[in-house]
Amino acid sequence: MTQTDVRVTERANALIGDRVRRVEDERFLTGQGQYLGDLRHPDLKHVGILRSPVAHARIRRVDVSNAVALPGVIAAFTGEELAQFARPFSHLLPMIPTLQQIEWHALAIGKVRYVGEPVAAVVATSRYVAEDALELIEVDYEELPAVVEVESALADGAPKLYDEWPSNDFLFMPFATGDIDGAFASADGVVRERFTHHRVTGLPLEGHGALGEYDLATGRLTLHASTQQPHNLRTVIADVTGIPENKVRVVSPDMGGGFGNKAHFFREEALVALIATRVDYPVVWSADRVENLTASLHSREQTHDVEVAYRNDGRVLAIRTRILADVGNPEVYILGCAPAVVTTSFMAGAYDIPNYAYELHCVVTNKCPMGGYRGYGQPQANFTIERMMDLVAEQVGIDPAEVRRRNLIPDEPRPFVSPTGACYDTGSFHAQLEQALEAIDYAKARREQEQARTDGRHVGIGIATLIEATAPNIHALAGRFACYEMAMIVVQPDGHVNVHVGTKSQGQGHATVFAQMASEVLTVPLAQIDVRDGDTGIVPYGMGTWGSRSTVMGGGAVLKAAQAIRDKMTGIAAHLLQASPADVDLVDGMFRAGEAAVPFAQIASAAYMHTFLLPPGTDMGLATIVGYDPGGTSPFPDPETGHLNVGATYSSAAAAAVVEVDPNRGRTRIRDVVIVHDCGRVVNPMILDGQIQGAFAQAVGATFFEELVYSPEGQPLCSTLLDYQIPAFGDVPRVRVVHNETPSALLGGFRGAGEAAMIITPSVLANAVHDALRPLGVKITQTNLGAHHLRDAIRAAGVPLDPVAGVVS
Amino acid sequence: MKVRFSVNGEPAEVDVEPRELLLDVVRDRLGLTGTHAGCEQGACGACTVLVDGIGVRSCLMLGVQAAGREITTIEGIGTGRGHLHPVQEAFAEHHGLQCGFCTPGMVLTAIELLQRHPHPSRAEIEENMAGNLCRCTGYVNIVDAIEAASAALSSAGAAREEA
Amino acid sequence: MKPAPFDYVAPTTVSDALDAIASAGDPRVLAGGQSLVPLLNLRLARPDVVIDVNGVDELDHLDIDDGVVRIGATTRHRSVELDPELASAVPLLVEAAGFVGHPHIRNRATVGGTIAHADPAAEFGAVMLALDGRVIVQGAGGRRTVPAAEWYQGYFTTAIEPGEMLIEVELPARSSGAGHAFREFAPRHGDFAITGVAAIVERANGSCTGARLAACGVGSVPVDLSSVADALVGATDIDDDALREVTRRVAVLVDPTSDVHASGEYRRELVQLLAAEALRAAWERAPSGGRST
Repeated sequence: MTQTDVRVTERANALIGDRVRRVEDERFLTGQGQYLGDLRHPDLKHVGILRSPVAHARIRRVDVSNAVALPGVIAAFTGEELAQFARPFSHLLPMIPTLQQIEWHALAIGKVRYVGEPVAAVVATSRYVAEDALELIEVDYEELPAVVEVESALADGAPKLYDEWPSNDFLFMPFATGDIDGAFASADGVVRERFTHHRVTGLPLEGHGALGEYDLATGRLTLHASTQQPHNLRTVIADVTGIPENKVRVVSPDMGGGFGNKAHFFREEALVALIATRVDYPVVWSADRVENLTASLHSREQTHDVEVAYRNDGRVLAIRTRILADVGNPEVYILGCAPAVVTTSFMAGAYDIPNYAYELHCVVTNKCPMGGYRGYGQPQANFTIERMMDLVAEQVGIDPAEVRRRNLIPDEPRPFVSPTGACYDTGSFHAQLEQALEAIDYAKARREQEQARTDGRHVGIGIATLIEATAPNIHALAGRFACYEMAMIVVQPDGHVNVHVGTKSQGQGHATVFAQMASEVLTVPLAQIDVRDGDTGIVPYGMGTWGSRSTVMGGGAVLKAAQAIRDKMTGIAAHLLQASPADVDLVDGMFRAGEAAVPFAQIASAAYMHTFLLPPGTDMGLATIVGYDPGGTSPFPDPETGHLNVGATYSSAAAAAVVEVDPNRGRTRIRDVVIVHDCGRVVNPMILDGQIQGAFAQAVGATFFEELVYSPEGQPLCSTLLDYQIPAFGDVPRVRVVHNETPSALLGGFRGAGEAAMIITPSVLANAVHDALRPLGVKITQTNLGAHHLRDAIRAAGVPLDPVAGVVS
Repeated sequence: MKVRFSVNGEPAEVDVEPRELLLDVVRDRLGLTGTHAGCEQGACGACTVLVDGIGVRSCLMLGVQAAGREITTIEGIGTGRGHLHPVQEAFAEHHGLQCGFCTPGMVLTAIELLQRHPHPSRAEIEENMAGNLCRCTGYVNIVDAIEAASAALSSAGAAREEA
Repeated sequence: MKPAPFDYVAPTTVSDALDAIASAGDPRVLAGGQSLVPLLNLRLARPDVVIDVNGVDELDHLDIDDGVVRIGATTRHRSVELDPELASAVPLLVEAAGFVGHPHIRNRATVGGTIAHADPAAEFGAVMLALDGRVIVQGAGGRRTVPAAEWYQGYFTTAIEPGEMLIEVELPARSSGAGHAFREFAPRHGDFAITGVAAIVERANGSCTGARLAACGVGSVPVDLSSVADALVGATDIDDDALREVTRRVAVLVDPTSDVHASGEYRRELVQLLAAEALRAAWERAPSGGRST
């Protein structure tokens, strides 16, 4: 029931479901990992980027001449210059009439719209000299007033980021389904709330970056980039540089985390590629921490104005919401408000609420661009609906677990089609909720809460449920790309196996997970299988790793390819054993028919070296490239209904938490938290538990520790890790996990795994904190529950400080 | 400026500007890229090295300050392919790493901790490791690993004494 | 972020160090580097010469003599934290030292460096004021002694004059009837304190004969709150009522600022909570029945 035992399998061929040590660990443990900054090229030069010090200004003049004159500087570039050799970025969504169409370049031209926007670049012998050179670049800025939050950005007369736009509204999306007005008219009551989701960032320990090398003789560009989507990046780089895609190779080396922050395509990546074509050296740039914190990618900032119509028995009839998403600067591809669009799909959560209307405004502001971070818009939706369930429960005086029972999507039918057209193929939401309540011992927890309250302690219990899209189709948001994955498997003449996948691990252990899958199908040991990813040169195309897609889509492709290889080898073995393929078994690396057997390696050798042994009509070699597309997802919303099935398959979860809040210091202690987690068939329980604990830690960070703040003038106030505090040792308890494995209908039976804990944890913690502070009259309607914020809220509710209160637990 | 010191038991000599951080001297001049730059403010511990056996942030030392010192980096831990230090072994066994970026710093800090304090409680492990940040694992497996390494080192030590 | 270029010298005597300071245009003294190098890396500090004093043996001493503790400027925080004689002589300092960053920071950071840097959140600021310590600096004109009360002048600003360097810190050894406590509130262990409080309570013949109180993280400088702790003198017990009175006065004395980590009002509340905790703990640690010295 609890986290699986530490039972490390020493067996050579590890199968799906086995707790296997990771094959990639040794190089990381011994410092032999090759991250972008570790790549060594002869003559490698360093790019430095001059960034805007102001939030909003016209650029009147950029003069790099003094920078170029500094010894050690090879070249310097302005936006105007570089644009001559580049095609602009765009969002490729001309079919959305309510989206403002823009184009932009790697370096700013004419205007800067956020502090940190790249304005000019230098190339020098070291990063030290590059930074010296940046200080010699002269830029004349004509400052303009800045807008740093959405309400002001939308107000009449607000300064506009784009003069040609009617307002700062970048994307407007309305939607309605069911009988909203009827539902509100017939309701016994309406809860109205505003929920604010604060600004955070994924903060991979390694920032993004790229190393570009261009060979003039062949016209080939090789770009190493710390990216989650190398093939997609290749397409973008080919677009921007004009180099055809068959001459661009993108390799993503070992990555120090990604978390969705590296699932967009950055101006700096294009900058490095372009510069590589303009100078005779390979060039590298990697974000330092200040650049990562202030000028790469921020996430989550939204405001939801929500109305929920309910009946006195706790049944929710309708949701109506206006979502304001703060896009920051919009110049990032894939568009930065993609998560906000995903938010709209999940506002009803795991509940059966057929009447749903939303109005989404994605508004630009003079801040760092927004983009994806683990959960990708789903945390915000989950938070709002789960908070609303508790607030409805308060209104009707019914236990919040019971209110959920009355609203959860029933066990039939499957798939269940949501109001926005998502097709939920999960197990029972009801059963999961009961499991969570049992795991937390809900009745006992409530009794203990009562006792604690009489002792004057503020203990709270929170509950939450989750439906989550995994392996999504990105086409609707990117204007291209899709929901498939590719894999190539080659069995070499000596019987050893290469597996190449179009996904890209940033620490999720894919080299082990995919090897386990190949090992299961081909029955050869892990040590005989070498998995590679993150390289456009080794598999024709792929969609990378994000959206909890790799086990599902990469796994599906690996299984499909492995099966194809196995089938071919079976046919060859049958021929050699003079049996029919149906009578040939493959067990532990031996093809058997009755008493006769031939080893795996011998088939491989025959396929390349002794091809006269092959059956007639069978080609030599053992190599296959497959694409896997399970179908069912929507490349764009249905033009009539607006329906969009986001995910190839869905995962689900339920959670319960007990917290205690010190009302004097505002500090929350998590006493217990359990997540009931269903990601279908589990490949490696150790790796899965690691993903859940890691996502849980990030959620604890986003709830109690992390916050990005801007000054009213648009200056980012968090530029170091002392300003932006992620959880450290001792800040994160161990989350208890109950695993269910309801197989999906996809190949392998997998569902996405890495994001559920991130999505559900802020909700369950907020519900618990609200419950803890209920006697004080404090209402939690924000995601930011750091100690000082909670104490400020408690004080505002009129609860004075008791300075001689006991030591905080 | 010429600076002479010793790295992982081998003599080293470099000619560096005073402003070059020890972190960059180790990575770029000596090619030892296992030590990583996470923040250049001393807040994350990814740049941890040992100087005369004591843990320091190499991003907060100048290379020229290493003169005459014995520097230990992650490359000096373990004895080669397949021979991991018990701390490294424990990290692998307990899934104490995911992306690996913080791992060299974690391993060195853990080794130094166990040298000073062979049997730390979980709370003591957390307190002593709190200067090393990780974004992937959520920490509990790392604490498990260090507890396990502590036990492994004790029994190895006991076995050596008995022998 | 990489530092701007600078020259570097590593003198081995105070005299040479002072000469180097005098002849530089914009010198910076480098001791532990845990405060200076982050500034260099951000190019917020751009000295023409960095004067590394880690090799100046005269600055590396820890003496306890006749009731006075003298700590040389380059003494590492880690040495302070682990020194058993110091733990006995100046337990308040040793307790506070454990809160300074993390062990690896303390391995390099120095007492002199921290006091010269004068970060308003620094634990040692509160400790210096509570102990009524003294800072000894030296320049071309010789040595001078600055009482802690005069040392902290503003945001990262001290009474040090151009051409001077910090030589050592003098602290009184604890009296036999004293108890001490340091308490702070930080978001995570090892972070800069949002607020911290140092307290000393003297106890003789069952009653309080003196109390010192100081706080860090409540403004641009650490603040001496001993005037309000005086309310405890004569008390035979430091009970809730006594502490409420003290903390009420503390709330009025401080005027903390707001930043990304906390509102001013939150800091004001924290300093009251911490003061109450620290005073109570100091009282309980003070030997009961001890005679005043």
